[in-house]
Amino acid sequence: MELIGTLGKLRLAALRLSRGNLHHASKPLTNPTLLRPFSTSPPSLETSPTQRPLRHRDLQTSLLPDLTQIDPVLDHDPSPPSTLDHGKAFRTNRPQSLVFNAPMEDLDESQTPLTSWEMARLLKKSLVVKRVVNMNGKGKQPSMYALVVVGNENGLAGYGEGKDEEASRAVRKATNRAIKNLKYFERYDDRTVYMDIEKKFHATTVFLRSRPPGFGNRSNHIIHEICCCVGIHDISGKVIGSHNPMNVVKATFEALNHQRLPEDIAKMRGKKVLDVQHVYYGAQ
Amino acid sequence: MPRVYDLCARIQNGFRARLRTIAIPDTKMNLAVSNILYHQGFISSVARGNYKAPDEEYTPTTPDNIATRRLWLTLKYRDNEPVLTKMSCISKPSKKITFTVTEMKSMVSGRRAKFVEPLQPGEIAIVSTNYGVLEIHDAMAKNAGGLVLCRAR
Repeated sequence: MELIGTLGKLRLAALRLSRGNLHHASKPLTNPTLLRPFSTSPPSLETSPTQRPLRHRDLQTSLLPDLTQIDPVLDHDPSPPSTLDHGKAFRTNRPQSLVFNAPMEDLDESQTPLTSWEMARLLKKSLVVKRVVNMNGKGKQPSMYALVVVGNENGLAGYGEGKDEEASRAVRKATNRAIKNLKYFERYDDRTVYMDIEKKFHATTVFLRSRPPGFGNRSNHIIHEICCCVGIHDISGKVIGSHNPMNVVKATFEALNHQRLPEDIAKMRGKKVLDVQHVYYGAQ
Repeated sequence: MPRVYDLCARIQNGFRARLRTIAIPDTKMNLAVSNILYHQGFISSVARGNYKAPDEEYTPTTPDNIATRRLWLTLKYRDNEPVLTKMSCISKPSKKITFTVTEMKSMVSGRRAKFVEPLQPGEIAIVSTNYGVLEIHDAMAKNAGGLVLCRAR
């Protein structure tokens, strides 16, 4: 017994205890296979390893990876290839948002913060619907492309693109994507932009000029529709350069997105900002 | 003839390159315009200095060191954005633009005057008057017209 060191004596003592030596004065310890020195909760006698709840409440047994199978991507396949043609080592998948002709799922309330009543009340305008062709080895594959702008006429607006064999389905896909892409745009007095904006997007330059109340929405037809959806009532818009409808839509959204608000300018320059119009003319 | 195009280009490029400080030639015109930009909050500080660095202690400008004298401006940024995005000349040697007080008032209130774009919210214009180089609002307060040098936003 002198040959065993202190650790050995401790281990023997633990074994003696674990064999259910109930005559011992100390607390009876459980089966050593369930004993985990690092666990915070006391291990219970009844649960087996499969029934025991996992340590983190968000972990689920169904989501854990099945390590008994070899994953074709993550694990190295030790078997030699069956043919001389090598298969793809990686799964090639484009992000779903870039694939316009993906199979369509209609939007339900769980996917957007809007209720279905609000979604039905949105102003939807399909600005571009055109026939596009994909040239294949099999020949010409025609499909319809749609660009839809959606807005609640109170600052929220977004655009979406969709492609399908039928025009109506393409428009529906585009609308769903537009609802997912809704964004809030700042407006001055809820009727116009804060200041004149000039934005260049590819070959299209868009000018959005702030105008007094009662001026109206006097712009290019595409800018007009977008401003209607956003809820901008007094604006003068002009497109210089390319008038490509898709690019005009994107240019206008970028212009409205990158507005510099007078409050931010005042903060940057360390000045106090005062709306003279509201103070002098008492605009509501 | 006051030439501010060099200053406009240097300040604009400095902001675009996200520089901390820039050195510009030490002239009365540059100093006047820099002071206006400082008081309007576009730059953090204006200091006299060497071509290497701003002066730690006061150094008088003499004919010996005049070639090395510079004005050092500390540029301002917030939220990863430059405070001054564009500074451009209005009056050029090829087309000089002089404003009366009425024209200045219309430019400031958002209407164009003499083919000059109106001032946007947050934009300033610098005018050279008989009272010196002033910001456009100060020139209107003094009831002084003059040559419209440049605009900054």
